[in-house]
Amino acid sequence: MKILPLSLKNLARKPGRTAALVLLTAFLALAVFGGSVVILSLRTGLQSLEARLGADIILVPSEAQSKVSFQNMFLQGTTGAFYMDAAVADKALEVPGVEKAAPQTFLASLKADCCSIKIQVIGIDPAKDFTVQPWIARSLTGDMGDMDVVVGCKVEAGIGEIIRIYEQRCKVVAQLEPTGTGLDTAVYCNMHTMDTLLAAAEAKGVSHKIASGDDSVISAVYIKVKDGYDIDTVNTALTGKLRKVTAVRTRSMITGVSDSLAGVSRTVSAMTVVIWILAFIILLLAYTLVVRERTREFAVLRLIGASRGMLGRMALLESALCGLGGGIAGTGLAAIGVFSFSALIESSLGLPYLFPGIGTILLLAAGTVLLSIAVSALASAFAARRLSRVQPGTALREGN
Amino acid sequence: MKKQIIPGYAVFVLALAISVGSVSFLGPCVHEDGTVGACHWASRALLGLGMLLSVLAMLAVLLRGARLGLYLAMCLSSILGILTPGTLISLCKMSSMHCRAVMQPAMTILFAAAGLAALCGAVICFREKKERA
Amino acid sequence: MLLRADNISKTFFRKTGSANYFYAVSPLSLEIHPETVTVLMGRSGSGKTTLLNMLSGILQPTEGSVWLGDTDLYRLKDAALSRLRNERIGVVPQARSAVDTLTVMENILLPERLYGRKAPAEKARRWMEMFEIGHLENAFPKELSGGELRRMAIIRALVQEPEVLFADEPTGDLDDENTERVLSALASYAHEEKKGVMIVTHENDAVKYADRIFKMEGGELF
Repeated sequence: MKILPLSLKNLARKPGRTAALVLLTAFLALAVFGGSVVILSLRTGLQSLEARLGADIILVPSEAQSKVSFQNMFLQGTTGAFYMDAAVADKALEVPGVEKAAPQTFLASLKADCCSIKIQVIGIDPAKDFTVQPWIARSLTGDMGDMDVVVGCKVEAGIGEIIRIYEQRCKVVAQLEPTGTGLDTAVYCNMHTMDTLLAAAEAKGVSHKIASGDDSVISAVYIKVKDGYDIDTVNTALTGKLRKVTAVRTRSMITGVSDSLAGVSRTVSAMTVVIWILAFIILLLAYTLVVRERTREFAVLRLIGASRGMLGRMALLESALCGLGGGIAGTGLAAIGVFSFSALIESSLGLPYLFPGIGTILLLAAGTVLLSIAVSALASAFAARRLSRVQPGTALREGN
Repeated sequence: MKKQIIPGYAVFVLALAISVGSVSFLGPCVHEDGTVGACHWASRALLGLGMLLSVLAMLAVLLRGARLGLYLAMCLSSILGILTPGTLISLCKMSSMHCRAVMQPAMTILFAAAGLAALCGAVICFREKKERA
Repeated sequence: MLLRADNISKTFFRKTGSANYFYAVSPLSLEIHPETVTVLMGRSGSGKTTLLNMLSGILQPTEGSVWLGDTDLYRLKDAALSRLRNERIGVVPQARSAVDTLTVMENILLPERLYGRKAPAEKARRWMEMFEIGHLENAFPKELSGGELRRMAIIRALVQEPEVLFADEPTGDLDDENTERVLSALASYAHEEKKGVMIVTHENDAVKYADRIFKMEGGELF
């Protein structure tokens, strides 16, 4: 039984009707695929953030921004610069339960020639660091030398390129993989390089001095708690031992982000479901209207020997083809939108945002197209049944 | 005949969006200190290309004899438009900045759509010319 | 004997006075033989079309049976009956019966293509030339006049080469010349191809081609 060529001709020769049905399904597919990519990217970003933070506790100067602003450094790449005595790292190691203490120093550039905005420069001690260093090691073979920098994936500077920070020439030796966090806009260097940059900043009038006047400063200490120790207990001990220092539980930061993410996910999911329901109802109405228009046509087919099964299959095939066309179009348009404007979406949401792997995305696209076909076929099922049961004798009566 | 000019109208609308957008909401980064970056010149070039496309599109609607050539010119101009921000004229180096996050993808999509519409127009003109011959 | 109707009747529900049902076709028996043209005449509303629909397998009788050869049509499942009608019964309905999204040629070859049979395009073209619509091969039904559509429907049925062909008012929209052409073609089809043809009409032109004539009035066959 050759119903496919007939179905294709029916669709091609009624372009207005076909376009309307394809458009409705495309709208559905756009919402499903676009919404799903955004939600999955937020989840992947959160997983990346958890992996990147690495530490259980982060020590920052009390005079630094609140936990929420500190959180923005990781989420949005907001620049920050606050300082405390470098000795805090060693003192932290003395607290029972502390396994590792890795210092980092932050500096916000006024303007690097690579960018017209401030960038975050982060100095690390490669020997002690356990949060950023393993991740740098994946992109850089060998050590980070003096005046070498490793840039986040969103800094548009090629390997070997020289960028200037506070007029100091720094050579880009590696670019990191995307993390979906604010750290993608950061530049990393070792502590010697950071000392040079701090001095250069001082010369430009950007002070990093602390009350003690000590030149040896750091901005944060990342703490890893030993197995078997309660993190809250160690947190309290650190706060008690170290003056003018705030201990931030990374878990609470992640929980905060996770709650925000859940809120966004719920909103996006709800919108997708509403669009889904609306599109389905409209499709249902559209196919019901089509019944009236096509009764005579199906009566003729019945007259020349098409069985009910054949007619039902033809009606379902046509709606499935519309669903396929709409699914592909909608998924394609959504893909163009979410991938082209990913930076805009990320900055608008203010949450970690990282695309899932290509395999996941392709699977999602395939699933969206299949869903579009299924929804289209389901919406036409009632109409297909009505059309397959048309009585040619009655339908073809003169005047009908 | 009607089929031939519809792509022309489509390109005209897209070209207007390019011209207006390139100097407004789809435009380059705005610096607080009043200085301009490389992306500023890219947006100027895009404004010019947008205006060129809109003139070509209107001419294609009005001049029947030159339609095929005009559509081909629009295709090539669109390719130039896609290459302008980021390839021919550099943009700011941070992906999160407005020129990279908004201007570049938006202009790429608009020029690609205009190029595609112009290509459809060229194909329609070519086919109808062949049929007449 | 090609087709036999045994005591078939058709009642419909209609609220008329005290009665709920009325006989559109009163119980009757009828045979269609090969090489014969059977003409069924009667006024509008006499039940001719209802009888034709029952004989052609489109409308199930309320009572009785219809046999095509050894096959009781209405005992078959829908798929089997549909295929049988496609292969062995041709119908030219009274009303417009074209698929608007297909060209004239595609409409004519549709019964063959529906079941994947090789489409006899050349044969179709010969019929189209004979009925003077050869130039409309690639036209769409909406571009055709009523008479041209009628001729298209007749060609569709003839191209099928059914054992029995039913034509309901086949000359309705036609001028005298085409009326003669159509009736002559149907008669030739019956006599030369050894098939059965039943023509339902209220025009007297068909009488001269008839081998048998029946009259229908108030659902009764005379």
